[in-house]
Amino acid sequence: MSLLRSIIATILKELLELRRDRAGLMVLLVMPMALVLILSLVQDSVMQATGEAPIKVLFADSDNGFLGQAIQKRLRDAGGLELVTNLRGTALTEAGARKAVARGDFQFCVVIPKGSGEALRSRLRIQAADSLSTKGKRPAARIAPPTDNALAVHFDPAVQGAFRTAVVNALRQVLLGIEMTERGAAFSETLPAELKKIVGESLPTWPGMSGAIALPDIRFEMATGPVLKLTETVAQGGSRFLKRPTAAQHNVPAWTLFGMFFIVVPLSGSLIRERQSGTYRKLMAMPVSPTGLLAGKIAAYVLVCMVQFALMLAVGSWVLPLLGTSGLVPGPEFLTVVPIALAAALAAAGYGIMVGTLSRSYEQASMFGAVSIVIAAALGGIMVPVYVMPRFMQQISGLSPLAWGLNGFQDVFVRGGGVQAAGADILRLLAFFAVTVVVSRIAIRGADNG
Amino acid sequence: MERAHIPLNAPPVLEVRQLVKCYKGSETPAVDGLSFTVREGEIFGLLGPNGAGKTTAISIICTLLPPTAGSVLLCSQDIAKHPSEARALFGLAPQEIALYATLTARENLRYFGRLYGLSGPPLSRRIDECLALAGLENSGDKRVDTFSGGMKRRANLAAAILHAPRLLFLDEPTVGIDAQSRNTILENLTALRDAGTTIVYTTHYMEEAEQLCDRVAVMDRGRIVAEGAPADLVGRAEDCANLEQLFLRLTGKQLRD
Repeated sequence: MSLLRSIIATILKELLELRRDRAGLMVLLVMPMALVLILSLVQDSVMQATGEAPIKVLFADSDNGFLGQAIQKRLRDAGGLELVTNLRGTALTEAGARKAVARGDFQFCVVIPKGSGEALRSRLRIQAADSLSTKGKRPAARIAPPTDNALAVHFDPAVQGAFRTAVVNALRQVLLGIEMTERGAAFSETLPAELKKIVGESLPTWPGMSGAIALPDIRFEMATGPVLKLTETVAQGGSRFLKRPTAAQHNVPAWTLFGMFFIVVPLSGSLIRERQSGTYRKLMAMPVSPTGLLAGKIAAYVLVCMVQFALMLAVGSWVLPLLGTSGLVPGPEFLTVVPIALAAALAAAGYGIMVGTLSRSYEQASMFGAVSIVIAAALGGIMVPVYVMPRFMQQISGLSPLAWGLNGFQDVFVRGGGVQAAGADILRLLAFFAVTVVVSRIAIRGADNG
Repeated sequence: MERAHIPLNAPPVLEVRQLVKCYKGSETPAVDGLSFTVREGEIFGLLGPNGAGKTTAISIICTLLPPTAGSVLLCSQDIAKHPSEARALFGLAPQEIALYATLTARENLRYFGRLYGLSGPPLSRRIDECLALAGLENSGDKRVDTFSGGMKRRANLAAAILHAPRLLFLDEPTVGIDAQSRNTILENLTALRDAGTTIVYTTHYMEEAEQLCDRVAVMDRGRIVAEGAPADLVGRAEDCANLEQLFLRLTGKQLRD
């Protein structure tokens, strides 16, 4: 009863103190929300630019022939690139397109030089004719080298490598399809004529076989669509339901965890202020259990973390869509995130208690606490996903409690898992909490015994 | 302030026996065989220069530090064996302002009162009584960080007497405050003593100790070098007109840092 009394009294006192600490409230509630809003909007834009939405590309067709039309049609059908052929009501020229890219208005321009379509067909006809040979009669190699009037892509130098690769690959795929079609057409045209010529030259030497022979039409109308189909499925459970992660699905849980762990600053500060002001001495001289006081402090900050969590979910689910970006789409077992959030909140509170116990001054605690959280966040994949880190960083990343929390949230939000999927991460967070509390108790006992 | 006569047969509230405290890494003990008894209704002054061992002694008696040797009986109970029960019997006003600066005086008292097991209307009544005794009845709803030094000291005292303790420890309760606040605090302590509260009191102000304390013990280097009623001690010493002169003779004039 006395334990419960001291826990409740301490919770009420801590919440009252936090309510009066406007700067602390800003750090705990407003900062993570601002981070989620800003980073989700920015990253959503980046994700759209790198594949989630068509990339805008200037398209200057100086050839005005079949090649430009075929490229436009295939790119539009594929949906990866959005072609801009007019700027301010005027048809794009090569010079105009390159200037717009150089100014940074656009990141790419595709230029089809004049005569490139006809040059392509001519080269393919020659290739088709050269590829047909009869015994002992090999034609001279006349395969034309690539000419100056080839298709060109001009980049803004600020564009990142992955972005360039995506555009070039999309163009290469389209060009390959056009080449296949044109090559087939060249063979359709060349092969019957060559056959007639060969048969006409050979038949008169056979008795009774002179005269005209009607050869069947040969056409190479090849389908350019894929013959081997590539399917995308979720590795976990083999479901064919493929949910692409949005910026919100990464950012909302990631920055919620960051905000939760940032309670280390006010929580450790509260412990140090109690030590410095003599309140700690006074409390220890009262008939209350230190465990009750510590539990009350932890419970108050866990409560704050859960409020943070609820606010961040609300921002992710309702505010982000209002700003025109994709919002948080929770998985079917949405309530599973509550135990993950609770475990993360306990881990954060335990860490705050440990930092507050081991630090000698408020400055030390706030500096070390804040910097250590930023490092743990960077390692834990809060800022950059773990899978893009170098291998040795990925191994270190596994030591960050923020990585465990984020992985648990991703299990639910992106992988559609339940509490079993996040179970290992929840246990890691709880173990971290237990270790921090034990270390704190040992440190407190050591200090109390002089 | 009239000093009450404390009968010699008044029951002891605090018995300190051969207390020793050695800190790790320190060659000399901070408290070295300290023994004294405080009787019910007495104001007992623990005097000494900086580093004499007063705060260490109070910390051990308040169960904040374990002693290296010796024992402390509080109302005949060994505090080492029954620390929780002992803590309910005394109140502590540490040298620092042991209050939450962003909370009001009333909110601070409410928190400490709840920890002592008080609640509801009895707690509210007791908070009002303590605020009135400390002269803060009109400032109870102001934040402590807006208080003057004297108001903070008085609020610190109010928090220590909230649960009506039998024994009150005051560690330099009048340091750094104006004459008016000091006078109020000393009057309050006399009133508390008259109401039956036993007080153990440390101070560097000898005049204050002479005026307020029924008995004093002068500590130096962890030991008691003189003990008795201030007037008796001064009377027994040659060429000492007051307690301050006696104190300097007993502890020396060299600086203690």
